[in-house]
Amino acid sequence: MKPVIIITLVLFLPAFVLGQTGSEKSDNQNRIFSEIARSASQVETFSCDFLQEKHMSMLDNVLISKGRLYFKRNNRLRWEINYPATSGFAVNGDQAKRWEGDTGRTQTFKVNQVPFIKVFTEQVFSWAGADFKRLKKRYHIQVLSETPIRLMLLPISPQEKKYLANLRISFATDASYVKAVEVHEPDGDFTRIQFLNTVINHPLNDSLFN
Amino acid sequence: MMSSIVADLYLFFSHHRPMVFVATLVVIVICALTFVNLDLNENIESMLPDRKTATALNFRLLQQAPFSRKVIINLNKQADTHGTELVKITDRLAATMTPPFFTRVVTGPGESLSLEFFSWFANVYPSLITGEDIKSIEQKLTAEKVRKALNELYAKLLSPEGSAMKNLFQVDPLGFRLNLMEKLRFLNIIPKMRLENGHFISPDGKNALIIAETPFEITDAERGREMLIHFQDLIASVVPETISVSMISGHRYTLANIDAIKKDIVIILICSSLGIFILFLLFFRSFGGIFVFLTPICVLCIAAAGVSVLYRNVSAVTIGFGAVLLGISVDFAVHVYFALRSATSNPSEAIAQVSRPIVFCALTTLGAFGVLFFSSLPVQRELAVFSIIGICVALILALILLPQVVRRTQMHKYNEKTYNKTKFQPARKWVICLWLVLLVTCAWHGTKLHFDGDLRSLNLVPDEIRDLENTLQRTWGNFRGTAVVFAEGPDLQTALETNDRIFRHLTRNPNSSRIVSLAPILPSLKTQELNRQRWNALWSDGKKEYVNQLLTTQGKSIGFKSTAFEPFAKLIAGPTPPVTVAALRTIGLAEIVDTLIIDDGKNAKVLTLVPDTPEIAALLNHSDFNRSGIQFASQNQFRQTISKAIADDFIHFILKASTVIILLLVLLFRNLKKVVLSLIPVVTGILFMIGVMGGLGIAFNLFNVVAAILIIGLGVDYGIFMVTKISQGLDAATERAVFVSGLTTIAGFGALVLARHPALHSIGLSVLIGIGAAIPAALVIIPAMYRKKIKISDE
Repeated sequence: MKPVIIITLVLFLPAFVLGQTGSEKSDNQNRIFSEIARSASQVETFSCDFLQEKHMSMLDNVLISKGRLYFKRNNRLRWEINYPATSGFAVNGDQAKRWEGDTGRTQTFKVNQVPFIKVFTEQVFSWAGADFKRLKKRYHIQVLSETPIRLMLLPISPQEKKYLANLRISFATDASYVKAVEVHEPDGDFTRIQFLNTVINHPLNDSLFN
Repeated sequence: MMSSIVADLYLFFSHHRPMVFVATLVVIVICALTFVNLDLNENIESMLPDRKTATALNFRLLQQAPFSRKVIINLNKQADTHGTELVKITDRLAATMTPPFFTRVVTGPGESLSLEFFSWFANVYPSLITGEDIKSIEQKLTAEKVRKALNELYAKLLSPEGSAMKNLFQVDPLGFRLNLMEKLRFLNIIPKMRLENGHFISPDGKNALIIAETPFEITDAERGREMLIHFQDLIASVVPETISVSMISGHRYTLANIDAIKKDIVIILICSSLGIFILFLLFFRSFGGIFVFLTPICVLCIAAAGVSVLYRNVSAVTIGFGAVLLGISVDFAVHVYFALRSATSNPSEAIAQVSRPIVFCALTTLGAFGVLFFSSLPVQRELAVFSIIGICVALILALILLPQVVRRTQMHKYNEKTYNKTKFQPARKWVICLWLVLLVTCAWHGTKLHFDGDLRSLNLVPDEIRDLENTLQRTWGNFRGTAVVFAEGPDLQTALETNDRIFRHLTRNPNSSRIVSLAPILPSLKTQELNRQRWNALWSDGKKEYVNQLLTTQGKSIGFKSTAFEPFAKLIAGPTPPVTVAALRTIGLAEIVDTLIIDDGKNAKVLTLVPDTPEIAALLNHSDFNRSGIQFASQNQFRQTISKAIADDFIHFILKASTVIILLLVLLFRNLKKVVLSLIPVVTGILFMIGVMGGLGIAFNLFNVVAAILIIGLGVDYGIFMVTKISQGLDAATERAVFVSGLTTIAGFGALVLARHPALHSIGLSVLIGIGAAIPAALVIIPAMYRKKIKISDE
């Protein structure tokens, strides 16, 4: 019986979603966005481990890396990879620093100078601040599931479409943090990042972001 | 004979006085109307040597330099403003800058200059490769280097940008793009700029730049003012107080100058009117005296109308300078006035007597101004016509009209004794000695005089704009003061070939560190073909297969698929597309392309920006360098050329004018002694002017040349009158006339020294010093020297 239900759901969920009227969809979305915003507003800091899988056609195997992510309000972020090699970057306002463990090279720069870091941090800060107004300007947002919340973002600008097919974001049950992100590229490659052991509102030392 | 003609004319017109007045009035009214409706040409080019000369060409080329006509806007944020706020406000302000005030607004190259840009370049790289690049690439083609490069590449895939860069990694796994980065260095048109979000941002992140174009001419003060007011409104509505905005454009200079001149004119008019009024009270005090002061205005109208008949488009500079020069015309009237007022006999005799020195003066002045016909500056040739017409009109007005106005009935009020009481007669020997000492001192200091050819120094630059220029230069580097090398050709490809030649020549030299050129990323198609041949040669003899094999085997061991670097294999195997202007525009380099290429379909120019240094100029003038199709435009060189032209023009003018004046004086006086004596005020005035200016370190500019002409013209007049007076025994009215005409000149033009505007101040200063020295030289030195000679001859 169970597989039948799943198949039925898979087949009819899109129809169910499409069958909703425009205003119903909009109300539903707004309710979900409000829920995320309410949860996000209570988050001052969070830190978590992450597991990143890169599925790339140019590689024989999935490229797996592990690391830790730190976030603090007012645009502070630290993304550090600990496996298979150490590297990462830290953002504090509009200043950023990156490092490569093997070479010992470090580089200080403005976030706006490096487009990829800029896009990445914008995404993290937008979700952490539940800035849907900004996100809606750049993406068409579809609700894939309500409990737990799963969203799919489709880029609007032709420029971004060249690099990004869609973004899929999964939230924790209480919508207080993002559990996983999938970045799908037009050529079929994708990256999946899972966030584990998330700790919310635990004090984080500012030196982490400098 | 001349005196009798003048006397006869006086008698003739005294019987037809109403007709003379009406005819004169009609002529003046017609000329005044013509003058008011004159279409003045405000182009500064008329102040430069002729169109075909190198200077004029240099000037026109400088006009085509980037930023010369653009509006530069700097946005500066306060310390507590967030970084992204600056970019946002810059975009918001730029979005509001729309036609008709602004036609093109640029905040940076845009965000398209990112990954796509590098991927595209990696594909056209073979068309851009140089011999040096080949050497660098060859060193990367060992097994060890390839493995190292692939390991680094694998590690980069872990980073957030890894996925986005994978296409670039596939086409360029060995990092040839680093050579490309070196080529892009030559596109950095603003030295201290960095790009953030596709915007021009200063290194400290506190400033953003907007470069805009406006359809309004820099000389169009009215529209320029409208644009500045409109821009201030935009700032008020768009920009928060935490961000300050400053604008630099030629319009601001124009308005600053016009406003300063307007204020100056008020001050000058008050001072000079006050001075002339005092002179009127002291020396004229009659209805006829008013006509003396009206003479220059009538002369100005008639001369302007006359010159407009000969020249379709009269330069505003001609009228401005001409108005100054025609100040000389008042002197004839002053002499006639005093001659008539002091006349004890028939006025026709008085007129006849004074007409001889006046005609002498007019002829010498005409001779001096006639020399301007041979000037290389169009404005000076126009000025010659203007002045000659003016002098002739002044002569006619003084000798024919004025005697009819200054009626003899008004003349008896004059009190000769009053003047004689004040007559100054110091010890002659001491006076001459002191004069000689002063002349020698002035001549010595005059050797220190330097000529300033910088047309900008004739403009008023308010402290606010000067500070802003300095701040801009500190923040962004000297991007507005570069020299420009133009590669010209009948079509773009020819110009690009020349541009390649320029780039090769300049980069061969270690001094040419900061060059902005399209040559590294847009070589001519010929050079691109050569580059591709070089690239193909690199991969011949099995090198291609060897490197592909290395990438496959080494890549496999790291974790790459065997097909991972197929795009690179295709690049080294297949044909490469050429780099074109259209392609550069598409990938986000439109701004730089449009800045450095001028192509009107008939003629193409490709610009290279270089530091404006003597080393670069020498490098381009080197005998080994083929300069065909190449023009070099440099502010420094232009200034030097103009300085030299002014100096040469001044020296030539002085020599030619002196020769003409001396010849005329010889012809008129036929006595060497009188000739030499007549020149005393001129020599004194000029030597004092250059001596004081040289001693005080004041530069000699184009306006001082005009003032010098005035000093020569007036000085020789004073000399002629005084020599004639002494030799022919004219009465004391001559000295009085010389004295009063000198004072009117000082009141009229010396008052310009109070002006804040450098050009007006220059004229005022020169006239004040020159005429201030010429008057005592005429009134004291000539009698002192001449009387002595008379005594010797009497003995």
